Amino acid sequence: MPEELSSLFLSYYSKLIGKECILLSFERIFGGASRETYKIEVSHDENKIERLILRVTQDSSLIETDQKTEYLAYSAYQDSSVPVPVLLDMSEDNDILGAPFMLMEELQGAAASPFTPDVYSPYEVELGEQFWSILGEIAKKEIHEDIFKSFHGELKEPCWKNELDKWAKVIREDTISVEPILEAGIRSLYKNPPKEPERITMVHGDYRSGNFLYLDNQITGILDWEMAHLGNPLEDLAWALSPIWSWQAKERPAYLIEKEKAIEIWQNSSNINLDRKDLAWWELFAAIKGMAIWISAGNEFKSGKNIDPINLFSAWIPGDIHLEVILDILEDSL
Amino acid sequence: MKPDINIALLNAAQEIINRFSPLIDDEYEKSRLSSWGALILISAMKFNDSGSSLKQENADILDWLVKFTNLDEDDISKCGYKATSDIQDVSLIDADNQTLRGLLDKEIVVLEGNGDTEGLKASYLLMRSMHQRRKVSDLIGLLQESES
Repeated sequence: MPEELSSLFLSYYSKLIGKECILLSFERIFGGASRETYKIEVSHDENKIERLILRVTQDSSLIETDQKTEYLAYSAYQDSSVPVPVLLDMSEDNDILGAPFMLMEELQGAAASPFTPDVYSPYEVELGEQFWSILGEIAKKEIHEDIFKSFHGELKEPCWKNELDKWAKVIREDTISVEPILEAGIRSLYKNPPKEPERITMVHGDYRSGNFLYLDNQITGILDWEMAHLGNPLEDLAWALSPIWSWQAKERPAYLIEKEKAIEIWQNSSNINLDRKDLAWWELFAAIKGMAIWISAGNEFKSGKNIDPINLFSAWIPGDIHLEVILDILEDSL
Repeated sequence: MKPDINIALLNAAQEIINRFSPLIDDEYEKSRLSSWGALILISAMKFNDSGSSLKQENADILDWLVKFTNLDEDDISKCGYKATSDIQDVSLIDADNQTLRGLLDKEIVVLEGNGDTEGLKASYLLMRSMHQRRKVSDLIGLLQESES
């Protein structure tokens, strides 16, 4: 597939820019479970190498989302204080590369595993301040009317119910075992809903450690917007704060800075006054949403639709952790 | 005596991680193979006690149901519980486990409806012990070692 894909890509890209190109490298990046991601180097001029990122929709992906969703979300933050890659093209046509795809310029920097402690050392403080501040900027940004309308078609209020119904449905469809902890968590959310936000904002949907690029002490890009939607900004905050992303140092969410400092930076950046009770609801929701994703991954693996080891890993390790997070929250609430 | 299955898995994982993975140049394929190595390693660590752990979980849920609900063992049997004791047949123990988990979930709903805090605390304790026995997330370090 990669060889066939690379020749299709070369032909497509040469046509896109109107020049004959030479493909210098075409490498798949390991990790992402919703898109196949390729790092590409092409040249059409002896002195210039273009570094590109190609995101191709998978036949069987962890999270079924339209390529257009991700493209629009990236579009919303081009030339803003939220660092995102420059978009070059997007197509939902299966005939060009065999599946819908999106093409971007490559940003400098590396992404870390969200499960490795101290991965950001010695720059946890600088990166932490940027990480939580950028999340506030995502919530604060006025979204262009056209993009807002494109997303708003999917929005059924209240936001919390829209999201909870969506992920509970994934759990019902994909679960392969009765899990009383998870069921108790879902019931708790339906019984004690949060308030609606003062303002509906763009929600990244998977803002966490591991989904940003950094170079030394600088965040260079926010990635993986395929679950973006309109909703309550606390959803992103709670997801990023979830203990799963700093399981071996829970006091420093995302293995960056302490929770209270993170929240303070987010509040200052977003200009949103935080309601702690509502945040607590979204923190439990984050673990339920996580479980839906991990259960879905386990189902993909068990059914043989996608035996990528990341699906087995997701069902085993993050699935265990989020279940424990739910139980911790339920016990604390008694 | 033949070598145990978990020992075979353990050695396979080590060969994959230390011997074969370093031979691969393609970064994607290398990472994918290393991940398989780590997951096989986790499987090896959990393989021997999977049947007995599930059997113990069933016994614990059964005890809890009899103690904290109006169900007795006859009622539970009528719901499909077969009291499988042969730990060699994990699929039968697992079928019993799903029946018992379903009953546990229903009874927790009753406790929630009644506001029975003590019963709920006991159910959370049970679920905590079930999760502790079953989880593999405490082996996350093995994955980190395989990455490095």
